[in-house]
Amino acid sequence: MSKLLLIDDEKAIVRVLSVSLKSDGYDVVTAYGGEEGLDVFRRESPDIVLTDIKMPGMDGIEVLKRIKDLDPDTEVIIITGHGDMHLAIDALQLGASDFINKPVADEVLAITLKRAEERLLIRQKLREYTETLENMVRIATEEVRRKSEFQDKLITSSNDGIVATDKKGEVIIFNPGAEKIFGYFRREVIRKMNIYDLYPPELAGEFQQGLKQGKIVKGTDWKEVMITAKDGKSLPTRFSGALLYEKNMVVGSVGFFRDLREIKHLQQELIKAERLAAIGQTVTGLAHYIKNILSGLKGGSYVVNVGLDKNDIDKLKTGWAMVERNVGRVSELVLDLLTYSRERGPELRNCFPNEIADDVCELMEARASQNEIEIIKELAPSIGEVNMGADAVHRVLLNLVSNAVDACISDLSVDKEWQVRVNTALEGDDMLKFEVIDNGCGMSEEIRKNLFTSFFSTKGGKGTGLGLLVTHKLVEEHGGTIDITSQLGKGSAFIIRLPYSKATH
Amino acid sequence: MGKRVLIVDDDPDIITFVVTVLEENGYTPLIAKNGEEGIAKTVEESPDLIILDLLMPKQSGIKIYRELKGDESLKKIPVIVLSGIARRTFLRSHEALTEFGGQPVPEPEAYIEKPVEPEKLAETIKELIIE
Repeated sequence: MSKLLLIDDEKAIVRVLSVSLKSDGYDVVTAYGGEEGLDVFRRESPDIVLTDIKMPGMDGIEVLKRIKDLDPDTEVIIITGHGDMHLAIDALQLGASDFINKPVADEVLAITLKRAEERLLIRQKLREYTETLENMVRIATEEVRRKSEFQDKLITSSNDGIVATDKKGEVIIFNPGAEKIFGYFRREVIRKMNIYDLYPPELAGEFQQGLKQGKIVKGTDWKEVMITAKDGKSLPTRFSGALLYEKNMVVGSVGFFRDLREIKHLQQELIKAERLAAIGQTVTGLAHYIKNILSGLKGGSYVVNVGLDKNDIDKLKTGWAMVERNVGRVSELVLDLLTYSRERGPELRNCFPNEIADDVCELMEARASQNEIEIIKELAPSIGEVNMGADAVHRVLLNLVSNAVDACISDLSVDKEWQVRVNTALEGDDMLKFEVIDNGCGMSEEIRKNLFTSFFSTKGGKGTGLGLLVTHKLVEEHGGTIDITSQLGKGSAFIIRLPYSKATH
Repeated sequence: MGKRVLIVDDDPDIITFVVTVLEENGYTPLIAKNGEEGIAKTVEESPDLIILDLLMPKQSGIKIYRELKGDESLKKIPVIVLSGIARRTFLRSHEALTEFGGQPVPEPEAYIEKPVEPEKLAETIKELIIE
């Protein structure tokens, strides 16, 4: 129940009313004049004030004014005497909630108070509701602020350069990551620069068009783009960007730039390291190969000496063959090294390609038959005399046929009839096709990929890794192509295509 | 009949050379042209000594060596490694292989780097073959 302050200078009325109000359940405090009434009001903060209008000293009107100043929510009910209607109206204008005539009838007082209480309750509810609402707004605002601060932090602390523009393409976000990449300060960019000032022209055009047309465009995948920094230098970045939408309307664009300089630098280091490793490998491979030749030469001369000592002609012949063979290996090696290291075009002259193929097969015949390998030739008779790099053709075919024979020797399968096929054919009127096909050990995908990349030998110490490099170089210099198919355990096919012209006379 | 020495090498020149050295010094040469054949001949003929090359296509000599020395009945046959690979390099890969789960295998009785003088080879063979 509410607390009620009753002010009247007529003590009898105060007593009677307060008894009746108390019995109605109100918590009643009383005062016998305006001044005293205000003191009690300040002390007790009642919800409802019931005050007589005509009192000596401070009257009801003044009490009303003061109370409304102190607490405008207080329900003030004026008690008026007969003929005080004009005062009652003044009071209502000053904020009194109601008035009640003397003599105070109990029922009328009860209704008036009930109305006052209802108003209090409504005001209370309204206040509570407003407070809750304010509270909710405060929480929501806080949340929004936190979120936006979080996003701000995200953008600020990102290592990627983040550049966002509004609908017109004007830059509105430029984070420290972007400062680092582009070399501009935020203040030089925000609202001062356009998408065209930062993006590479083509990309800028794409985005500007997207912004203008307002179409929904999918974000780009990461791709490498070169951007131009403040100092005019181009730098490599990985870029991903998107248009920003709000309710299906384009509101701006955002681009993420990742600095690739460090990665590029590391990649270059890696390439350099690989190159060094390749050189190391080459030197080791070559040294090993030369050691083997040296072994052959020493061994040969020893066998020759034994033959001489014992007058053993067979030994002499064997030893001499060893010496000759290894001298041959030295000259081959030197030739390969020279071919590989020198830049020069093919020396074109008139020749018969089929004769070259014949000659190569004849050279390899001894080694092949020793290892039970059959060399089968299929040379197109329509190929006559032509003009092309005859020495290159010879060297390339010799390398390939020799490799093919090696592939058969290295093949450990049993019951295989090893064959090396050498085919020539005309293709159109300016191209010759040479095929060298074996059914030897074949190559794994990994080996096939490495064939031309570095000095790479699978022949233990018996190869330099130079053969195919030289082959590749010669074919390229001659404007031709090499195609390779191979299957591990089944064999390999090398197809060379070289251009030729008519023989000159 | 002299002691029998098995040469495992895929280079015909080395074979001719070693065979001549062996014959000159009164040994009987046996020949294997690759690793597989080497193991087979060792089991079949149980030679008194093996001369082994390391770099051969397909089956590496290092693997053959570890197979020989890892076999109870074969490991007492002395082995001379004759290779273009430096002794240091071989020992390093040998250690590494032992470390990575391989069983411990003794070092070869002798290691000769190519090219070899015939006298040096003959001398080493003589030292290792117990008469």
